[in-house]
Amino acid sequence: MARKRTVRNRGEAAKLEMTPMIDVVFQLLIFFIVTLQEQDILAQLNISRPAPDDQATEDRSIDLLTIEVGADQWVLNGRPFARPGGLPQLDRQLSRLASFSQDASVIIKCTADSPHGALIQILNILSREGMQNISVFSL
Amino acid sequence: MKRHRRINEGCDLDMTPMIDVVFQMIIFFIVTIKMDENINEEIRLEDAPEGPLATGEDPRTMVIEVDRRGWLSINNVQLNRSQLEGIISRRYNRFGNFPVVIRADRRAEHRHVRAVMDLCTNVGIWQIDFAAIKEHRN
Repeated sequence: MARKRTVRNRGEAAKLEMTPMIDVVFQLLIFFIVTLQEQDILAQLNISRPAPDDQATEDRSIDLLTIEVGADQWVLNGRPFARPGGLPQLDRQLSRLASFSQDASVIIKCTADSPHGALIQILNILSREGMQNISVFSL
Repeated sequence: MKRHRRINEGCDLDMTPMIDVVFQMIIFFIVTIKMDENINEEIRLEDAPEGPLATGEDPRTMVIEVDRRGWLSINNVQLNRSQLEGIISRRYNRFGNFPVVIRADRRAEHRHVRAVMDLCTNVGIWQIDFAAIKEHRN
């Protein structure tokens, strides 16, 4: 009888109480699931900035694409496109011009009051067309 | 005595695989969580689905934030222009050229972005990247 009791005691001592640990672990899990917020995937649009007194860029290349970003319109080689409605036309026009030569220089001139988003929309189109030489001037 | 033990065993659920899975999930969430990312949440970036993916592989990259009103910040710490100029020029003098990413709000006027770009060109950084959203996740 005495021997039986010892055997049973040893068996109970080996058993670990799991319930509180599981509770804590579930709390942690819920915390992490709730606080998880996935980040947006970002794009990086590379441009180069001309030197402040660089006049040579203007007449360097004949394959020149000039886009002006104004407060409420874009101007592509002298032709205005209203914003935001004119974006599809501008898109078509730009891809047509870009198809002639991929390594043409692109000059974007931004007025001081133009929104930054308008510049990004242009850079997005140019990036799709594979244009590399993009300079941003500020007017 | 024998029957009693059998009933106990029948009620006992094997917790080990569940605990394993739960621990795996906790480890996953701990590893993927980003507590150190201090970005200005007010800034709304323009979409650029065709733009090249931001790899973020260069640890020297300096991200300069420009919010809707043109206020400048780095890691969500607000700076004025002379402070920013000091940071950029000190860093350029110590480590040489480094990539600059401008994280500007879509509604920010160009003159605020221009001010940042001018600070960069003044010290000799000509290549500048603009951050935009390639794909929305939340």
